[in-house]
Amino acid sequence: MSSFSIADDESVEQNSLTRLSTGNHELDTILFGGFPAHSINILMGEPGSGKTILAERLMFANSDENGRPVLFFTTLSEPVDKVVRYLQQFNFYDESKLGTVIQYSSIGHQLAEEGVGSLVRIIKEAITDLQPQIIVIDSFKAIHDLSTSVPEMRKMLYEVAGLLTAYETTAFFVGEYSADQISTYPEFAVADSMIELARSKHGTRDERFLRVLKLRGSAYLEGLHGFRITNDGLVVYPRLVSPKDPPAYDLLTERVPTGVNGLDTLLDGGLRRGRSTFVLGQTGAGKTTLAMQFVIKGIRRGEPSMYVSFEENPTQLEVQLAAFGMDAKTAHAQGLKFLYVSPVELQIDSIVATIYRTVKESGIKRIVIDAVGDLLIATTDTQRLHSYLYALAQHFAVEGVSSIFTYETIGKDLFTETRMSALADNILLLSIQFEGRRAQRTLRIVKARGIAHDLDEHDLTITSNGIKVG
Amino acid sequence: MPNEPTASAQAPLEETTAVDAKAPYGSTELLVLVVERDPHVRELEAHFLQHAGFQVAFATDGQEALAQARERVPDVLITEVLVPKLDGLALCRLLKQDPRTKDISVLVFSILAANSRALEAGADAFLKKPLAEQRLITTVKTLIDNRPRKANAP
Repeated sequence: MSSFSIADDESVEQNSLTRLSTGNHELDTILFGGFPAHSINILMGEPGSGKTILAERLMFANSDENGRPVLFFTTLSEPVDKVVRYLQQFNFYDESKLGTVIQYSSIGHQLAEEGVGSLVRIIKEAITDLQPQIIVIDSFKAIHDLSTSVPEMRKMLYEVAGLLTAYETTAFFVGEYSADQISTYPEFAVADSMIELARSKHGTRDERFLRVLKLRGSAYLEGLHGFRITNDGLVVYPRLVSPKDPPAYDLLTERVPTGVNGLDTLLDGGLRRGRSTFVLGQTGAGKTTLAMQFVIKGIRRGEPSMYVSFEENPTQLEVQLAAFGMDAKTAHAQGLKFLYVSPVELQIDSIVATIYRTVKESGIKRIVIDAVGDLLIATTDTQRLHSYLYALAQHFAVEGVSSIFTYETIGKDLFTETRMSALADNILLLSIQFEGRRAQRTLRIVKARGIAHDLDEHDLTITSNGIKVG
Repeated sequence: MPNEPTASAQAPLEETTAVDAKAPYGSTELLVLVVERDPHVRELEAHFLQHAGFQVAFATDGQEALAQARERVPDVLITEVLVPKLDGLALCRLLKQDPRTKDISVLVFSILAANSRALEAGADAFLKKPLAEQRLITTVKTLIDNRPRKANAP
């Protein structure tokens, strides 16, 4: 009997799908670990959508000086020189790898001269001569457009897919495909995964989205994920989805003082931990002051707290802190986080992702988001904003993060976006009324889930010590 | 055990390979018999094995492989599990039961995660597809180094 001496690790670990990292942690998260290794993948999207950058980041991330080469074939869309020139501006670019382990070459001329069928020979020679671990073909759509008949294309793809399946390599077909071509173009039939990159114009800026259309043998995060293109390549913001488990019961029974003089009495002791509170009111009604007090109370109680503002920059916020007798430096040292985002700069995906990451990393227990209306202006898709806010509120509940969302109302309109009220466990309505030359601010608790709260309208005054209710 | 008709030894050898069917067995080149249905795998295996200095012969189904193995007694036989007429594991069992062929090192090289089944069938090694040159060549060389008895190495 012969001993069974040889079986390498990869052959023994049979059931786990080997993954190829994209070089981007967030994108790997969306793909549940990366692209399946030894597969054929399609990266699709209109010109300028970031496909090539995604592929290049992956190439550099997976190339190892002493490892097997990574090949990038350009076809008829762009000359190699141009591709390489733009590649150099990225931080992941590594000069020492180019021309050695990462090899760019053009196959456009050969394809044009000898027909698309020559791709079979090109790939076969690449495999036998170079044993590449990754092959990127950009643009594959150009090869499709070059083919003279459907049978020719299908025959070539059959052979190419056979070769790529036989050999231990991972292939990427990059192309300016549109969604309607998926069902008709034969290259999609041989693909193990497909990722679509899209861009939509929103005012003066673009919103970019990425979506997994197929990932054979694996689950993935569905839906649209926002991303930006930076010098690091694609910065991806995985769509925030609701947590798997509901919040623990004991968490929700704990009370947290608001820090607003007189308000906790009306709330039968304070807000419930982990719950979301919407503070509504016209401009000047005291929303920001109330929210600021809530955060300061948190800091004074030793709870890491965070203030997210789309309107007031850090300097303005520090002035406000000072008005409450708190030095900004001390407050930061005690766990206060400011996040200022100009809402015209970013898409909600990145804002929400940054908020969520900071909450996780810093163990935030109180958070203010001032104001929701700014997010509404920043988004093209209010439905998407709703699901994000909902998911955020759910995560906050699970993690015991008490939140205040401010929302500016106009006139008598209580909730311009009525669906917002479903997101709120508690609603505080601030108001400012004018009688002749006098103004009077008021506060009313409209709703406070699970709290035996007061229902009356109460006077609200802003003193040098902050807000006083009653 | 009655011999299969050996006429199939003339059977379809891969035309693209440099196999010299007339070369007398016992030459210094070690012979690897590849049992494989997929033309792409066959072609790439041939390339890498020949490149590493082996002589390569092919069979596209299990019956043909059995006949060739009995006739030519290769040093190593590489088989996929999924081959027609006689599957790779059954082939392996038959080879290991027969004194004439039991010393042929068998490498099961399959798309299936057939590690333990290959072991039960008496195979000497198992590799899972897809093909990677280094793993394949290293495994074949190790099999030859580990052969139970001194064979025809010079």
